[in-house]
Amino acid sequence: MPNILVIDDDDIMLKAIKNILNKDGFNVVTATDGKEAFELLDHTVYDIVITDLMLPHANGLEVVGRLRHNEMSRNVGIIVVSSVGNEETITEAFRLGADDYLKKPIMAGELLMRIRKLIANKNSKTQFVTKKK
Amino acid sequence: MWNDLVDLLFRAYEQFSLLPLFIEIALIFIFVAIMATLLAYTSILFRRYNGYVYQKRLAHLSPVIEDLITEQVLLNESLGKDIMVDEIEFDQQAISNKLFRKPAVRQILIDTLIRYRKNFRGEVGELLRKLYIDMNLVEDSFAKLRTFKWETKIKALVELTQMDIPISDSMLLPLTNSRNPTVRAASRNAYIQLSKNEPFKFFDVATEPILPWDQLEMFKIITTTKDITIPNFSRWVSYSNNKSVVTFCLKLISHYDQQSAIPAVLELLNTKDHHFRSHAINCLGKLGAEVAEEKLVTIYTSQPLNCQIEILKALGRIASGKHLEFLKQEFLFSNNFDVQMNAARSIIKHNSQHSRLMLNEIMETTNEENQLIVRHCQNPLIKY
Repeated sequence: MPNILVIDDDDIMLKAIKNILNKDGFNVVTATDGKEAFELLDHTVYDIVITDLMLPHANGLEVVGRLRHNEMSRNVGIIVVSSVGNEETITEAFRLGADDYLKKPIMAGELLMRIRKLIANKNSKTQFVTKKK
Repeated sequence: MWNDLVDLLFRAYEQFSLLPLFIEIALIFIFVAIMATLLAYTSILFRRYNGYVYQKRLAHLSPVIEDLITEQVLLNESLGKDIMVDEIEFDQQAISNKLFRKPAVRQILIDTLIRYRKNFRGEVGELLRKLYIDMNLVEDSFAKLRTFKWETKIKALVELTQMDIPISDSMLLPLTNSRNPTVRAASRNAYIQLSKNEPFKFFDVATEPILPWDQLEMFKIITTTKDITIPNFSRWVSYSNNKSVVTFCLKLISHYDQQSAIPAVLELLNTKDHHFRSHAINCLGKLGAEVAEEKLVTIYTSQPLNCQIEILKALGRIASGKHLEFLKQEFLFSNNFDVQMNAARSIIKHNSQHSRLMLNEIMETTNEENQLIVRHCQNPLIKY
């Protein structure tokens, strides 16, 4: 069962995404700010991290940057979900290593599809590396 | 006892009337100050108590409401099965729970649904809307719209807009001319978002001004709302008597680059109000209306400073090259610094071989101050 970490300071969004993903068979852990997210990331490796950009303590861009710089979490799939729509922030998120971006309000079906696609990409990459070895 | 109290007050008044005037005034002042402080504290306590009760109720009800939304919307089995949202049915027993009949609970329910709607669109967003309609919360919002309190009216407008519920013109149009500027702004914003076919119909009946801040808000809504029908704004430029509507339409014309509006905007150059004229000139410049250049240069000398500056800017934006000599003359012989600066910027903006040669010639022949102006205007970091 894939592990997903969802980071958002809006408790309603957090609960809603958790319910939607649980229904689809994902194991979901939530964090309401950057600090809590870092603590969780230090102890567990997740398959996918879904993060908002505006977060207390550390923003979403910092989360993305830290995930990509950490050897343990380098290959985690990262989806940025935010109501911030300016190009510069989105570009910065991708530059730091985000895999996907969704603008709020989101479509639940679209989020699920993107998660599945990221997991499929990750699995095929792993298979390729194993075969090469 | 009552007689004793009256007697006491009477004696106190007798004592008070014997006091010197300044003492009397001081005592009255102290009495008023104490009463005002007591009143203020009572009001603060009352508000805090109400807030506390609301928070307590919210803490108790939020899980129940969130569970209802989760079960009926987020985890609805019919989602993602190619069933039309309108055909999805909710569990009637769950949504007709007695708890959801209380007005305070219904308000919390509406607020929660709106928070969800801000986060979800697509099927989930539509199903949230359906729940709002099926639980008859739409009637609560309409009831609020009919109250006299302006704050409640605005709340209702926000709710109906967020839930994409159409409001009849007979109800909404009068609000767009409300004497309260906040209600006016909220209802105009709601009209644009809710009326997909004629979102600007309220311009026809607008008698109250659209304030600059409201114009900004409205501009944001117009440019970000999906599926909005954009009309030809020249219609209001030609016929509206409301100056703020015309100036706002001029901004929209230039934003949507409505070239067909140029003749209507040109007509505005004959208006007596110079602020109005400067907006029209600005719009012509942004539209790149080459046809207006000749007229702008002709009227230049009879214009006040703000219009002259707009004309110089417009010539730079249109940049046909026909009036470079005029810009050069203004730069070299004007006594006004703003005029010189805008003339120089407009020459630079042409960015043609002729304009570059002209600038070189100016730099070689003019005085040091003018050279400094040109160098300043050539700085790419200074926005034009």
